[in-house]
Amino acid sequence: MATAQRLLMKGTEAIAEAAIRAGCRHFFGYPITPQNEIPEYMSKRLPQVGGVYLQAESEVSASNMLYGAGGSGVRVMTSSSSPGIALMAEGFSYLCGSEIPAVVVNIMRGGPGLGDIQPSQGDYAMCTKGFGHGDKHAIVLAPSTVQEAVDLMALAFDLADQYRNPCVVMGDGLIGQMMEPVTFPEAPVKVYDKPWAATGKPPTRKHNIINSLYLDPEELERHVYHLFEKYERMRADEQRHETFMLDDAPPVVICAYGTMARIAKTAIRELRKTGVKIGLFRPITAWPFPVEALSGVVQSTKVFLAVEMSMGQMIEDVRMVVGRDRPVKFFGRPGGVIPTVEEIIHQVKLLSN
Amino acid sequence: MEGCVFTKKDYQSELKPIWCPGCGDFGVLSCIYQALAAVGVPPHRLAFLSGIGCSSRIPGYTTAYGFNSVHGRSLPMAIGVKVANPELTVLAAGGDGDGFSIGGGHISHAVRRNPDITYIVMDNHIYGLTKGQAGPTTVPGTISVTTPYGLSETPVNPLLQVLASGCGFVAQGGTHDLKGLTKMIEEGIRYKGFAFIDVHSPCVTYGREEDQSKELKAKSELLADLNHDPSDKIAAYRIAEEYGKKLYCGVLYRKDGLTELATMHKQVQKNAKAAGDYPRDEVFKRNFLVH
Ligand SMILES: Cc1ncc(C[n+]2csc(CCOP(=O)(O)OP(=O)(O)O)c2C)c(N)n1
Ligand code: SF4
Ligand SMILES: [Mg+2]
Repeated sequence: MATAQRLLMKGTEAIAEAAIRAGCRHFFGYPITPQNEIPEYMSKRLPQVGGVYLQAESEVSASNMLYGAGGSGVRVMTSSSSPGIALMAEGFSYLCGSEIPAVVVNIMRGGPGLGDIQPSQGDYAMCTKGFGHGDKHAIVLAPSTVQEAVDLMALAFDLADQYRNPCVVMGDGLIGQMMEPVTFPEAPVKVYDKPWAATGKPPTRKHNIINSLYLDPEELERHVYHLFEKYERMRADEQRHETFMLDDAPPVVICAYGTMARIAKTAIRELRKTGVKIGLFRPITAWPFPVEALSGVVQSTKVFLAVEMSMGQMIEDVRMVVGRDRPVKFFGRPGGVIPTVEEIIHQVKLLSN
Repeated sequence: MEGCVFTKKDYQSELKPIWCPGCGDFGVLSCIYQALAAVGVPPHRLAFLSGIGCSSRIPGYTTAYGFNSVHGRSLPMAIGVKVANPELTVLAAGGDGDGFSIGGGHISHAVRRNPDITYIVMDNHIYGLTKGQAGPTTVPGTISVTTPYGLSETPVNPLLQVLASGCGFVAQGGTHDLKGLTKMIEEGIRYKGFAFIDVHSPCVTYGREEDQSKELKAKSELLADLNHDPSDKIAAYRIAEEYGKKLYCGVLYRKDGLTELATMHKQVQKNAKAAGDYPRDEVFKRNFLVH
């Protein structure tokens, strides 16, 4: 087989192309910086492959178009950035409640409020814990390179279909805007049987209504138990992470994801050159948080340093795993300011003092 | 300061607009200054609310108390201000995307409550701030970054929509006629109730050639020259129907004396006063406590 072609692509465009190659033919969105290249790419490419691109009148509307299209069984996605994602919380909760697969891409920018349009990780808590009302969860994938974003897009559609649950891809403005060489996977699109989908009712088919309403509390309780049985399977089977320079059990471990993890890797390489024993633990799934893998690191670690492009959101999950036996320090910068390699090195040096 | 004479300068903030040179919004801003001076609104009695967009930057360029608020939410925000502080003169402004797309659902409800707010939409038929996506008033066939094969959707007709909601003041203007626009805004501010003004304000960077000032002038006609009677709603509907084709400038429709939110609010306050200093605790106990 010929080796797959390497292409130089911007993160946002690579994400869009990866979605199309994963079988996504329907995109609903509303413009917002810094992810406009995703809808722009989709508006051009989808019609070429028999798909539909539609600009909704708002993100609230887009999230409900997602609900409708996903409910009819097609692979569907939307993308937005922080303030727009907040508006999609309505549709997202219903997607979870009704068990409709869909993919939501959040290219995070600085907040709260309108904030700015610089890269940020300020939506970790919203995406992993607060994306819509009610008892529910969704897998949140956090790529740290453009190539990984491509790979995780395909995975996101598969996970969404496999679990009948929406899936979030959480990137930041830097991954969206950066250009890197990428290779698209050649694996065929997985096709899932969707007997529940609203595709019309021939006489051979059972009557089916997509619904998230259960007025009888005991019935709703049973439904939520059923959802949580799924979430438990996700927790057991879908935790993903990467470790970097942890083989010699360094006493200092940085926890970072996405763009921040990339910068941390550079800092770690520099520190290693000067003899500092240090490594990285990088969650790839922000939910389910890679609890098992991080637990395995605790014993050999003296101190953890969570580094985020926020005032500290992932750190709560790190602390939950690490407990009180080891200090978990924090360094982060909010507002769309990206912590630098030098700043991380400085923070690590402060730890050893 | 009441009774003072104000000039354009009194409404100008130190902020320099960062709109592209030639943007229509400069003209709208200057008309708003003039209209405020003509009405004599003391700057400290003025609240100016907007959503998000190039046009929504406008409150910052005035000396009014202002919010550059949330995309699409200038009207709920303005209603909040007006209800909390009915004595203020309240202006709301924003773009076509802000007002007719994401905020579209709010207009008819603002009209229904009829607060004394003047709502100015800088309608450039495009999303300016996010760099040129087609919007709710973009002309079919337009090629934009998100409509590479030409837009296939029909634009909204804001004039018809607002008229049909029952709005008592509906006007249309353009930045090709700043004098006319100033008068219209002045009349809107003086009008007691919700006044809606759709201003064709060209985006020189992402807008179509056909929507630039020169072309606006060519397709515009003054309603005053046509002896249009603004109290004739059917005639107003007919003019509104031409939105996007001809540009009829002036007040399409005006009806005074509609029930107004602020009036209702004042009445409620008056009633409360008339009720005297009835102890709140007593009211609470009587209404809510189960004995
Ligand atoms: C919830 C939300 N979605 C999207 C955006 C991004 N956004 C900012 S302004 C704008 C549209 C601008 O168009 P318009 O309202 O017509 O104003 P103009 O810039 O043309 O004056 C959009 C989509 C946002 N700020 N918030
Ligand atoms: S992009 Fe268009 S609307 Fe925005 S400032 Fe420039 S000319 Fe004006
Ligand atoms: Mg506009």
